Amino acid sequence: MVTPRATRGSALLGVWLLSVSVVAAQQPTNFVSCPIVRDTASVPCWLAEYNGELYFLTLQTDVSAPVNPPSLGHRVLVEGTVSTEPRICGGIVLKPVHLSVLERDAACNTMLPAEERYNLTFEPPRPPGPSGGRLAFANSAPASPPAPTTGSTREFVVSYSFDGLIGFTHAGALTGILNFARTANAREIEIVGHRGAVRLSNGQTIVEEPTIGKKRAEQIAMLLQGANLKGPAYKVSWRDEAATADGVDDHLSRRVVVTVR
Amino acid sequence: MTRWITAGTLAGWIAITLAVSAQTGSRPWWAPGDATPLADFATYQNDRGAVGVLNTSGRLETKGHPFFEPIGANGRACVTCHQPADAMSLSVRTVRERWEATGGKDPLFAAVDGMNCPHLPPDDPRSHSLLLDRGLIRVALPWPPRNPDGTRIDPEFTIEVVRDPGGCNTHRTYGLESANPTISVYRRPRPVANTKYTTHQNFGVGPFIAKSGLPTATDPETGRPTSMNLMSDARAPTLAVQAQDAAAQHLQLTGRLTAAQLAAIVRFEQQVYVAQVSSPAAGSLVEVDGPPAFGPRQLAAGDAGVLGNNTTRYVFPMGEKWNRLPRTANESDNARNAARESIARGHDVFMFRTFWIRDSMHLNTVGLGNPTKRTCATCHGMHMTGLDTVNGWMDIGTTNLPWASEVPLNPWNEAKPQMPLFRVTCKPEVKPHPYLGRVIYTQDPGRALISGRCNDVGTIVMQQFRGLSARAPYFSNGSAATLRELVDFYDRRYNIGYSDQEKQDLVNFLGAL
Repeated sequence: MVTPRATRGSALLGVWLLSVSVVAAQQPTNFVSCPIVRDTASVPCWLAEYNGELYFLTLQTDVSAPVNPPSLGHRVLVEGTVSTEPRICGGIVLKPVHLSVLERDAACNTMLPAEERYNLTFEPPRPPGPSGGRLAFANSAPASPPAPTTGSTREFVVSYSFDGLIGFTHAGALTGILNFARTANAREIEIVGHRGAVRLSNGQTIVEEPTIGKKRAEQIAMLLQGANLKGPAYKVSWRDEAATADGVDDHLSRRVVVTVR
Repeated sequence: MTRWITAGTLAGWIAITLAVSAQTGSRPWWAPGDATPLADFATYQNDRGAVGVLNTSGRLETKGHPFFEPIGANGRACVTCHQPADAMSLSVRTVRERWEATGGKDPLFAAVDGMNCPHLPPDDPRSHSLLLDRGLIRVALPWPPRNPDGTRIDPEFTIEVVRDPGGCNTHRTYGLESANPTISVYRRPRPVANTKYTTHQNFGVGPFIAKSGLPTATDPETGRPTSMNLMSDARAPTLAVQAQDAAAQHLQLTGRLTAAQLAAIVRFEQQVYVAQVSSPAAGSLVEVDGPPAFGPRQLAAGDAGVLGNNTTRYVFPMGEKWNRLPRTANESDNARNAARESIARGHDVFMFRTFWIRDSMHLNTVGLGNPTKRTCATCHGMHMTGLDTVNGWMDIGTTNLPWASEVPLNPWNEAKPQMPLFRVTCKPEVKPHPYLGRVIYTQDPGRALISGRCNDVGTIVMQQFRGLSARAPYFSNGSAATLRELVDFYDRRYNIGYSDQEKQDLVNFLGAL
């Protein structure tokens, strides 16, 4: 029979062995996989396996999180960089990391129960229940740019998940464009939609759907007009050709550039 | 559970209604045109004690007041479906009492929406089964939907009628294939009270909907974004728009409310607050040193549109006094204290009991992950009401299959399902619903009938938690007859695993709000 002490010792050994990673730090690591939820004594961890290794993607926090957890029932595109931080929940930490919820896949349904050896060794930004009275990342918002004056010009970049359109993360960005255009009495809004691509770590390149640049550009125009920004002339265009992908910061290719003048 | 109605069940509830009325007395019915003034503060008995109705502007003369007068063609007034004794909503118990008292002649049962469909034979309870059994009013919506300026929205999905027990959705005059294509859904009247919370301009209200990035509906008078938490499908952005729409649709007012009528209605709706004030077991809920969560006066004084899903403000601030109360030789005091402790425990279940929330549209899609380990207060986070602070439509499965109540048919039961059933198919050029796929079966497409969006199918704006004891049944489709059934739905939907004690405590807590 294994005693509790021996079990704990084995667990620690396991954790140590897992810590001896053969994955080099700062290495771009891009893959498509099923996300995994691992519960802890506080908030759950989100993980994914790739090439025989387990990666830590993010924690459950709240709506202010810079990285939002993915979704069971769907595959996830992971675009990350291996960090030197200690493993979290048994996974190699990818930081920074960008996650895209992909197509539905009923096989992506792994929920792992809490185990003491995987409990967090730090206080999470947000507990699973009520907060302490502030959003988890409320203080990380960048300072507002200077107020525009009439005739000002500014370029805004709206970023997307893979094959994604406008979602809950975009309300703030759209409000920024709207407010600038109103304050600056904008005459023209130029919107250019882009189609992205990602080079995966296995050498494969995946590209977004052919019409995504058009959809993104037209949607931004529709949303701004829907918010009653009807004074400026809209100049809407898009790029059908996908961006070139090299596996480094490929997420930046999924964007719409809005120039307000 | 799906409600089944037959002549037998109708006779059953009539008998039960009469028996209950004989024991406890009927609910006071506020008839249109009743010139009785509405007191500055009044209480009305219900099965869980009494609900309080507070007029912050003092006693209201209802004679000539457009909220209380039958200003439309069918003899109804706003108060018909927003009864003070029912927490400014309408309980199914009151509906049944009116049927008994008037033989179905009360304007409440008007054919336009108090029947399952206007073409059905009047005065037959089967023609009114959704109102009599679930307290549901027919809501007829144009298809495809239209923008506020009247232009047609190109919906992301097609919709077919799979089942039509009331006959309205397939009717040649009223249905989807009629000259004016219309979809009929059946919904509970919401409480017209505590409206500073449902119409707040605070946290989460901006030009773009916080959960989707789409443009927020604006106040047509001011152009300001609204919270879109007023109606179950958020189709009316303001009290004024809702009043005009309701006067035309439900009161059959020809023409429009005058500016003076509109102002009087809105002013009244902004001054009235409701909440439970007493409980037979727990006694007064509004003692001077009691928990600040309770009673309409606390609601009137509270801050609107602020987050309470935290340990600084709380959704329903209880304090700690009721957590542990003394026991004495007085059995009555002990029983009261035990009931109060149950309410306090129920609050803690609401606030702190985690469970996995999964596949709920507009919750699991807003950055928390799917699933997310959270609590009731995650969604029901607005201080003092349990509303959402941001635009609050969400799909928890009350109308969408597989979670909506659908009892499988069998050869031993002649009863048939009451609710309509629609098949929604998301068009090929649109991404399928992330949790339900491309084909969705629903009893009520909810917000999607207004937005035309696949991701909105079956999403319903969550309700405030106030006056619940006065206005059963619950959920927009009245599918939970009691608070226990409401709790059981969540327990089943999210595999929460509540203990019997947790369920009872939660029911006692909700019943005290």
